[in-house]
Amino acid sequence: MNLSGILVVVRPSRVEEAQARLGELPGVEVHHVDPETGRIVVVQEAESVEEEVAALSRIKALKGVMLAEMVYHVFDETPPEWDAVPPELDSTEFPN
Amino acid sequence: MELSRRTFLKSGVAAATAMAVGIPISRSASAAVAETEKDWRWDKGVCRFCGVGCGIQIATHQGKIVATKGDPDAPVNRGLNCVKGYFNSKILYGRDRLTQPLMRMTDGKFDKKGRFTPVTWEQAFDEMSRQFRKAYREKGPAGVGVIGSGQWLIQEGYAMNKLMKAGFRSNNIDPNARNCMASAVAAFMQVFGIDEPPGNYDDIEYTDMAVLWGANMAEAHPVLWQRVIDRRLGHPDMKVVNITTFRNLSSEGSDLEIIIKPNADMALLNYLAREIIHRGAVNQEFVDKHCVFCAGPTDIGYGMRPTDKFAFEAEKDIQAKEVEVTLTRDEAIALGKDPNQVHTVKQANAGTADKHWLVSFDDFRKGVEPYTLDFVAELAKGDVDESLDSFKAKLGQLADLYADRERKVVSFWTMGFNQHVRGTAVNEQVYSVHLLLGKIAEPGNSPFSLTGQPSACGTAREVGTFSHRLPADMVVTLPKHREVTEKGWHLPSKTLNPKIGSHITKIMRDLEDGSITWAWVQVNNPFQHVANANHWLKAARERDNFVVVSDAYPSVSAKVADLILPSAMIFEKWGGYGNAERRTQLWREQVAPPGDARSDLWQILEFSKHFTIGEVWKEQPVPGLKQEGFEDGKLPDLVAAAQEMGYRPEMTLYEALFETAQNKKYAWPDPVAKGHDNHTVKHLGVDWFVEKALFEEHAGFTRGHHHDLAPFDVYYADDVRGLRWPVIDGKETLWRFNANYDPYVKSGDFEFYGPAMKELASGNLDGPTTEEKTKFPGKAKIFFRPYAAPVESPDSNFDLWLCTGRILEHWHTGTMTRRVPELHRAMPAAVLDMNAEDAKQRGLQRQDTVWIESRRGKIKAVVETQGRNRPPRGYTFMPFFDESVLVNKLCVDATCPISKEEDFKKSAVKVYKA
Repeated sequence: MNLSGILVVVRPSRVEEAQARLGELPGVEVHHVDPETGRIVVVQEAESVEEEVAALSRIKALKGVMLAEMVYHVFDETPPEWDAVPPELDSTEFPN
Repeated sequence: MELSRRTFLKSGVAAATAMAVGIPISRSASAAVAETEKDWRWDKGVCRFCGVGCGIQIATHQGKIVATKGDPDAPVNRGLNCVKGYFNSKILYGRDRLTQPLMRMTDGKFDKKGRFTPVTWEQAFDEMSRQFRKAYREKGPAGVGVIGSGQWLIQEGYAMNKLMKAGFRSNNIDPNARNCMASAVAAFMQVFGIDEPPGNYDDIEYTDMAVLWGANMAEAHPVLWQRVIDRRLGHPDMKVVNITTFRNLSSEGSDLEIIIKPNADMALLNYLAREIIHRGAVNQEFVDKHCVFCAGPTDIGYGMRPTDKFAFEAEKDIQAKEVEVTLTRDEAIALGKDPNQVHTVKQANAGTADKHWLVSFDDFRKGVEPYTLDFVAELAKGDVDESLDSFKAKLGQLADLYADRERKVVSFWTMGFNQHVRGTAVNEQVYSVHLLLGKIAEPGNSPFSLTGQPSACGTAREVGTFSHRLPADMVVTLPKHREVTEKGWHLPSKTLNPKIGSHITKIMRDLEDGSITWAWVQVNNPFQHVANANHWLKAARERDNFVVVSDAYPSVSAKVADLILPSAMIFEKWGGYGNAERRTQLWREQVAPPGDARSDLWQILEFSKHFTIGEVWKEQPVPGLKQEGFEDGKLPDLVAAAQEMGYRPEMTLYEALFETAQNKKYAWPDPVAKGHDNHTVKHLGVDWFVEKALFEEHAGFTRGHHHDLAPFDVYYADDVRGLRWPVIDGKETLWRFNANYDPYVKSGDFEFYGPAMKELASGNLDGPTTEEKTKFPGKAKIFFRPYAAPVESPDSNFDLWLCTGRILEHWHTGTMTRRVPELHRAMPAAVLDMNAEDAKQRGLQRQDTVWIESRRGKIKAVVETQGRNRPPRGYTFMPFFDESVLVNKLCVDATCPISKEEDFKKSAVKVYKA
């Protein structure tokens, strides 16, 4: 599981609206809001990196969002068992 | 994970994020952070990916990276990271990480047609050195080659450069940075006489205008782009201009978007120069005091092979232009010739493309005179659906903005300029505009070359890992530079080879024609990225040669290799990078590499143990070597001279070059490690601090030579977040050439003190007219460079432009970012961005699978007409990260003839339904 702390910046006049929209997104929790500067900290929970990246794109696409970038990541996974020869090298096929 | 822990962890993540960006939080929230991060070890690092050089903090726990965050104290990114920052730790733990050397074998023996089989390091080095000897004995130093990287750590690049140039006496070493910013380098050297930019990122916060020239910053340099946008939001007069061949994400944040045709940037810059002159906006005092005017030849070819012997039948018509070119109508006008006549021009200066000479201001003025608004607008307008009037109005606005004396301006560029058949020239032209205006080398006035890779500047350039370079801007062709380097490396005189080696594209060509039969690739994926790859993939697999690839993952290059060496990645080793604003940043090893993976540095040093001085420092053949002081075609025997210096013939290159008495003075363990491990030292089995010794050895070349690095330990101080070279008396240099900021300025307000190429013959636009040379120390050059058409343009058969490049989520060839399996699916296959009207005309719809075909091959991809990139009619874009769609196979391997950097931006293709 991955947790990311994301900084979202909106115009100060639109903080409340943005807060509401952010709260509707899957896996997103709004934690800190600085109404004067329009900065919002959300935490994104996702099972996979794909979800994580897609979620960031969704936040960026929200109306009024001027900036959304990841700041903090926590990983809670066990490294995989590595193969001596990864499957894609175990072939004599010529690269496409 | 249990719910309560997760809830708790989330509060910790939120509070830590808020703290990192300076949002006040409650005491209970900060307690949550302390609890979440209990037992974690935090240390500073730098992002693995692009050239921006963002600072990050890395937390480890029980030998594994558990968290990363943007570093709030890093002046580059101030706590932010783009999405790629996220991969800094994820990339270490991809499913198919390579953890053992793999060799192609059959029945327990090396076999080029065999299958990859795990071997020990000992077996790997035995075969690797056996194959090396075979090539080296047969062909000498020219028969072997190394393809390195702008992602090499400073110490790795330094060690390999020394091994190749001093040990094997071969200049066939070149980094992938060749295809990233060699054009920027060539222009720095020609204009200023020294590499690396005058300004820095701080310019963003001082400027009134940022102009993007072929730089999609929003995708490729997002954190810097954020600084531009911040400046614009807080500074109402600030303007942002996006000059591009297609609408992209950077257009969103811009006040003015100018869509131009490929190569029309050259015409546009000459139009600006002409306007500046006509409007009386030249900063005459600045120009008189600090500048000279220059011109160079135009019949310089396109960096292709001079023969069609190896060309596919379909590419022969383009290859022929290397020898002779018929000028286009626009080129004729741009050169002041009659457009109604046919002008066929032999490319006589293909081998001497970099020569240039002094001209007068009047010559320069005559040169830019044909570039009227009418001519340039017709030539440059890139969107057929835009009206000429609208386009002209934009050009006028651009000229107004640049020429405004009160307006400070930063010009940014990346691959649109650098990957360009006239890349050096177009870089020089933007300097010409800034120099004419005197808008340079002071806060907010800055022509700035953004780099693509994390240590293109720090390693590829400063260390001198190009086939023509030595450390600290020195070159192999100058006797004085070889002498300084030989002294610094304690080498017998004439150890260094004065003949320029093969650049990256040429190493590929050499593999194809059999002149190189042994090659080692480190920290990059050339068989995916080098243009016209069908030739090189075949060369690697089907010619009688031996290709070694050091990599962390099974990249395309690893797949075509004969031997794969598993490499340690970024935070699994000690290292350092130098970013685009001259900032050097070093970090400690955070975690151990997995399995038998080892640092590239360890690999280089271990390999060097397999050769003795006696076998490499004897007389060596170098075909084509012709240099004063050398016998034609050979390098002299050095063994006797080496013995006089205290070397013994049976000494290994490791002992002679690396484990020197001086280097052994840097003891390991060292207090700077603060308990961090060093697997390189551990596996070498030594008690000297290899990374520190090599850094200091390299720094010795930089100090007192305009590139000064600080002592190794300084970069590890808790309050240091990198330092911008030159670092003098402990202070970094913010604006070069400016007496207020740069201690190297000895006289006057500005001094362009770079020493290279500051003595030239004089002439006019057609050529030099005197033999006599004039010196002009301390001055910068304003070049006239006429418009030149791309080497290949769409025609009735291949009727669309193709441009390849980078996108936000993936880094380069995707070797690392595509390893995270889920992300693979987020961007599973690169799509071809095309105009909806073009798609319709070809009976195509969004999401259709199509063939994209050029003279050099064809690939399948999916069409997108509503993506982030919106090309005008006639133009397509495709990113190159996807190894299942090797799009650079389609690109022409033409280069800027001066910089030898490939032009990935202008190939002609056709697109049809698959």
